[in-house]
Amino acid sequence: MAPVVGIVANPVSARDIRRVVANATSLQIADRANILLRVLAALHACGVRDVLMMPENGGIRAHVERGMMRARSRGEDIYPALHTVSMPVTGTVADTHHATAEMRRAGVSALVVLGGDGTHRAVAAECGTVPIAGISTGTNNAFPEHREPTITGLATGLAVTGRVPPHIAFSANKRIDVSLVSGATGATVTEMALVDVALVTERYIGARALWRTENFRELYVTFADPEVIGMSAIAGLLEPVGRDESGGLMVRLSPDGDCRKGVTTLHAPIAPGMMARVGITDWRRMPAGVAFVPEVSAGSVALDGERELSFSERDRLSLTLRDDAFRTVNVAAVMRHAGQNRLLTGTPVPVTAAF
Amino acid sequence: MAQNPFPLGKDELLKAYRTMRTIREFEERLHVDFAKGDIPGFVHLYAGEEACATGIMMHLNDNDRIASTHRGHGHCIAKGVDVHAMMAEIYGRSTGACRGKGGSMHIADLSKGMMGANGILGAGAPLICGAALAAKVRGDRGVGITFVGDGASNQGTFLESLNLAAVWNLPVVFVVENNGYAESTAMEWAVSCDSYVDRATGFGMPGVTVDGTDFFAVYEAAGEIIRRARDGGGPALLECNMVRFYGHFEGDAQTYRAKGELEAIRASRDCLTILSERLVEAGVIGRDELQAVDREVNALIEDAVRAAKAAPLPVAEDLLRDVYVSY
Amino acid sequence: MSRKISMKQAINEALDLEMRRDPTVIVMGEDIVGGTGAQGEDDAWGGVLGVTKGLYAKHGDRLMDTPLSESAYIGAAIGAAACGLRPVAELMFLDFMGVCFDQIFNQAAKFRYMFGGKAETPVVIRGMVGAGFRAAAQHSQMLTPLFTHIPGLKVVCPSNAYDAKGLLIQSIRDNDPVIFCEHKNLYGLECEVPAESYAIPFGEANVLRDGDDVTIVSYGLTVHRAMEAAAALAKDGTEAEVIDLRTLSPIDWDTIVESVERTGRLVVVDEAHPRCNLATDIAAFVGQNAFGALKAGIQMVTAPHTPVPFSPSLEDLYVPSADSIASAVRRTLSPKGASPRIAA
Repeated sequence: MAPVVGIVANPVSARDIRRVVANATSLQIADRANILLRVLAALHACGVRDVLMMPENGGIRAHVERGMMRARSRGEDIYPALHTVSMPVTGTVADTHHATAEMRRAGVSALVVLGGDGTHRAVAAECGTVPIAGISTGTNNAFPEHREPTITGLATGLAVTGRVPPHIAFSANKRIDVSLVSGATGATVTEMALVDVALVTERYIGARALWRTENFRELYVTFADPEVIGMSAIAGLLEPVGRDESGGLMVRLSPDGDCRKGVTTLHAPIAPGMMARVGITDWRRMPAGVAFVPEVSAGSVALDGERELSFSERDRLSLTLRDDAFRTVNVAAVMRHAGQNRLLTGTPVPVTAAF
Repeated sequence: MAQNPFPLGKDELLKAYRTMRTIREFEERLHVDFAKGDIPGFVHLYAGEEACATGIMMHLNDNDRIASTHRGHGHCIAKGVDVHAMMAEIYGRSTGACRGKGGSMHIADLSKGMMGANGILGAGAPLICGAALAAKVRGDRGVGITFVGDGASNQGTFLESLNLAAVWNLPVVFVVENNGYAESTAMEWAVSCDSYVDRATGFGMPGVTVDGTDFFAVYEAAGEIIRRARDGGGPALLECNMVRFYGHFEGDAQTYRAKGELEAIRASRDCLTILSERLVEAGVIGRDELQAVDREVNALIEDAVRAAKAAPLPVAEDLLRDVYVSY
Repeated sequence: MSRKISMKQAINEALDLEMRRDPTVIVMGEDIVGGTGAQGEDDAWGGVLGVTKGLYAKHGDRLMDTPLSESAYIGAAIGAAACGLRPVAELMFLDFMGVCFDQIFNQAAKFRYMFGGKAETPVVIRGMVGAGFRAAAQHSQMLTPLFTHIPGLKVVCPSNAYDAKGLLIQSIRDNDPVIFCEHKNLYGLECEVPAESYAIPFGEANVLRDGDDVTIVSYGLTVHRAMEAAAALAKDGTEAEVIDLRTLSPIDWDTIVESVERTGRLVVVDEAHPRCNLATDIAAFVGQNAFGALKAGIQMVTAPHTPVPFSPSLEDLYVPSADSIASAVRRTLSPKGASPRIAA
């Protein structure tokens, strides 16, 4: 069966308060559409003829269609056919959940995701075993790697058309599952994070983004990369943990970043352009499959940099890291394989989906 | 009582709730009384959008100026304009905030920093640049906030003001109240760049989008933006995504809305319900305390209507008064 | 101390004196300093015709260049005025009013009334008016009737350097919005002007020449044409009284009516287009309030109902001339003076 690639492009990522409190990027809608056009051209070059896209009212699709129309009117055949998931648009994260589930049911071979960590988290919640090819258009973006989208598109195209063996093309990823049992109702809420879970003492969700370090208390990360930005940078600068290693890292912070005895002070880039001084009281490895119960008794849970849940003393919170939770396209490995095997020296044979 | 998890103390939280409830009650009363034919002219209601005005105005003092829109009652109340004077104005009485000369679309109280609701869409933006310039010249740390709807954001005055504020580095916050409709026309169709943050970026200033039905989201983002402007950090844009519970004007049948749309937003996106649920759930404010506020607000609005109806109308001599300071 | 200076210098002097006197006075406009952000000289222009030249050196940042963005900065001047400053905004050519008229007539002019007498908007919007500069249709108009029509605005149009200085000082001190119209062909005209500060009150016309045979009312550049006509008529024994209105809103009805009641004849000269202008306004007022005194039909001398043409041969025909004013006077003196005649 000919491969179909799904596309989730979030028009509302990179719009939060970090544009004011720091000089975070605000990638324009037209730029996101251009990124998508580059991905589409790369997929087409690998023989993908059909893509299935999430509908949105933020303007991305309109810009993309305009770009494709202009190419057609110049007589160029460089893009796959663009189909849209038939679903209502709410303008919320529910759209991403809904669209991802629909695409998985439609049997897409991979999901190209444009967004920040939050968008990728929403896709990972619904994608099952469908691999994700992430492109960073958000703010903190520890999860999607920074790379020219054309290359991400090429790697995805090579992977889904079967020219790179799956064990090379796809890699496994970790996640942290968060379980919150309400003391009042007994109801359980489950959430997850792809990169980090931060516990803060402020108990309101507010503008969602995290930037006030004085409220940070605990941090749990799936990987600790000293080259990324955001909460997980704190872990990465203490003890790097790779994406491909089992387990993650847990970090405890002191209330005000002071230098009391037994406190390590760390400078970390917790948001774009924002270096913060945080006091570290403890850190340790977080093995997979072991439930951690935090010391913070009341506050908010920030998942991948955004406050999502608040909890009180009466509620029960636990966090468990899972290895091999979902798959991603290993762009670096695919491209290395493509080079070593000269995969792009011939003309690819188009494969058309019966879609 | 549980520990307060919010960024505001209990008194401030109650004040926010009271402000939002007062706006809601004020507007719903106008909705009823307008339908009865008691109120002359045009009325545009702010119901559903209360979290935006309140979340922003909690950061302002009387020295800070705002320029409002035709949908200005909420901005007035949140900025501290007297509710009795507003109601009397809307009823066209000589005791009104503008002595019956302005009406719903022109309520102003310069002593409160409220530079007027405005019947001309987008007209407030240049004016607030001037207010901010005055604050900057005086060095008094005042800021200017201009409100504009998604519709009026297409006016040249608004776009020119973004540029001027950026060039002069004025302490201005441009608040786009995006309720999805320019009168009856969808924002998605009428705003070409799709994102207000893109517009702000195009003028060299930061832009932020928040859920305008979430008081705390507005409060927190506005706080950062206003502090930045006050400290000399320059202008910024805040887009609040929100919902309008009534028509563009009173009497609008809203045939442009999808079936079930209004019911859905009233059920799931009522900023007042969202706030009160959160306050009660956290155990910071009891439901009975909120109900006590509701009763006080009801009595206030009832009294404002009663007083407005009993107040004298302007007389013939008033027709020629106050065209000029001196002539 | 008095010395001869041009109207341009007089305006500059008025701005300078008021900025010294009152720290809330600021001046803004396109290129009023000139060269802001550019590599060359500071104070490169001082306005396109150099009216504000040299003020930047004296008052620094209180003179603000603006982007080419009339809606925004005229609106900002109005907003700043409502917040306690006394901005003087230069609109360069008042023809540009077209792009920012909303801020002037829907905002500035209405604040006081619409807000129940609780607002003051002491803003001055000054700029060039009038034809004769070979600047064609969009840079030459006399739009004074448009501004005069709007309640809440005050409209000033001086005819000489002395009046320009005194009227501009009054405009800045006035607590209402003032449209200050400067005829570009008068900028270079010199007269005796005191060096010290003085204000000329609004609503007081200036009788430039006494006469008992006919009243000629005008303002701006055409005041000088009226004076030429009066001099020519005097040779034939006709003594014309020439009234310079100086301010169009408020307007000095008393001086006009008193003069017409004495002379019995009225010629109104307006550089604006013939319909709904100052001439028709004054003619109607006199017709209603001094009809019994009239010995002849009122004559109006105006520009034609056309845009301002470019070619010098046409533009010279456009502006009312001394000859056409003298002819109008003669019509009021002739036995057929009362017969109807359609204005050109």
